[in-house]
Amino acid sequence: MTQTPQTNRSTEHLNVEKLNAFIDGELPPNEQQGIEQHLTGCHACTLRVLSTTQLKAATARAGHRFAPPPEALARFTAQLRLQPQTRTKKPVRIYSMPSLRPLAWAALGAAILLTVSLFGWRQFHQTNNLAAELLDQHLATLSSGATPQVLSTDRHTVKPWFQGRLPFSFNLPDGVALPPDTTLKGADLTYLNGQPAALLLFTIHKHEVSIFLMQRTGGPILSALPRTRSGFTIHSATTHDLRIVAVSDVNPADLDNLIAALVKAQSPV
Amino acid sequence: MFNSQCLPVYAVSLLTRNLRQTEALRTMPSPTTHNETFEQLALPLFASLYNNAFWLTRNQAEAEDLVQETFSKALRAFDSFQPGTNFKAWIFRILRNTFLTTRTGIAASRTVFLEDHPDTLDTAAGVTPEDTLIRLDNQAALHTALEQLHPPLREVLLLCEVEEIKYKDIAVILDVPIGTVMSRISRARRTLRQLLQPQFGKSL
Repeated sequence: MTQTPQTNRSTEHLNVEKLNAFIDGELPPNEQQGIEQHLTGCHACTLRVLSTTQLKAATARAGHRFAPPPEALARFTAQLRLQPQTRTKKPVRIYSMPSLRPLAWAALGAAILLTVSLFGWRQFHQTNNLAAELLDQHLATLSSGATPQVLSTDRHTVKPWFQGRLPFSFNLPDGVALPPDTTLKGADLTYLNGQPAALLLFTIHKHEVSIFLMQRTGGPILSALPRTRSGFTIHSATTHDLRIVAVSDVNPADLDNLIAALVKAQSPV
Repeated sequence: MFNSQCLPVYAVSLLTRNLRQTEALRTMPSPTTHNETFEQLALPLFASLYNNAFWLTRNQAEAEDLVQETFSKALRAFDSFQPGTNFKAWIFRILRNTFLTTRTGIAASRTVFLEDHPDTLDTAAGVTPEDTLIRLDNQAALHTALEQLHPPLREVLLLCEVEEIKYKDIAVILDVPIGTVMSRISRARRTLRQLLQPQFGKSL
């Protein structure tokens, strides 16, 4: 068979892309009719259409292959509902970029410059304040009179307690997944930088450890946090959705092991 | 011409484009309505998104993470969705862009070699039309053939056959011209046919 130009004329064979578009219902009605007319008289093209249609149907069946786990939809829906609605605060949005006038662009440029220069300064102060805040909260948990709002070593008690209290969810490692001689004591609901956070209280070799879990989106930037303050270690990590900060006077390596166990617990098996 | 080197840049440009807001003045509904509308549109697509995510990642945990992140991103960006346009194409595009920035996606994009040029007739000289008839009742053979198919070809085929998305919307999801969609579909079907033929012999 010789190669033929792309055409609708009923005497010439169908171009392969035309044939595919015909099968996929992508042609305008007049072209569709032209091809149908051609097919009434052309055995070769009819067979090609038939074969390709069968292949399409078989691919559709074979491609529907992976079904989600049965409980996944409920889980995902719940997570969606926990997601805060940051965008709905502003009732009116103006995003029509091409309509912005040159003056507005100049103002935008100046604003960006100002923001960039202020950012470094602000971040330094923010992280410094955050470190003080973290340490204060940790010291508060050390005082003998302080009892956590939820007092339990059972992760199945601690985690559900936060439901409805926090706009996000997190996983707790089970006892086996925790580093040796590390125990969960309880938990508190707290606020950092004006954002709700989960405060988990652990002990490692009788040293008290405070773990703060907060949402990654909109949360403070932790990369610039000092690694120690007033003799306490402050280590942090981020997961996909969470920021995790640990404060303690325990050996930093042990603290890192606990953080690693928490990070690991956030990725589903 | 191989375009593998361009792909990481291509992925980034897709992301920025995806985030670009093109709406003019628009009043948002209350948060409840906003969320409910999103759920009404997104949740029925859950199984399709998961299936597609699994084909992309080839791993259950990664597929679940990918869909979850897609939902989360889509809800956050729901203001930029224009009512009346194709929501399915919009959210599949977010899924794909999200995949391209994952470790698996970046690794996959490095190994992509694909020529995009218009296909010529697939009935080569000496092959009779009857030879193009192949047996398709063997599901296992089809699964194997689909797995062997080059990822960009499999991707376009799944969007077309399984999700029944129109060429123009596939072009939006993949961020390629519609002509490229057409030539990839042609090539994907031809390759799939070639992969299926040796297993059953040429003339059936």
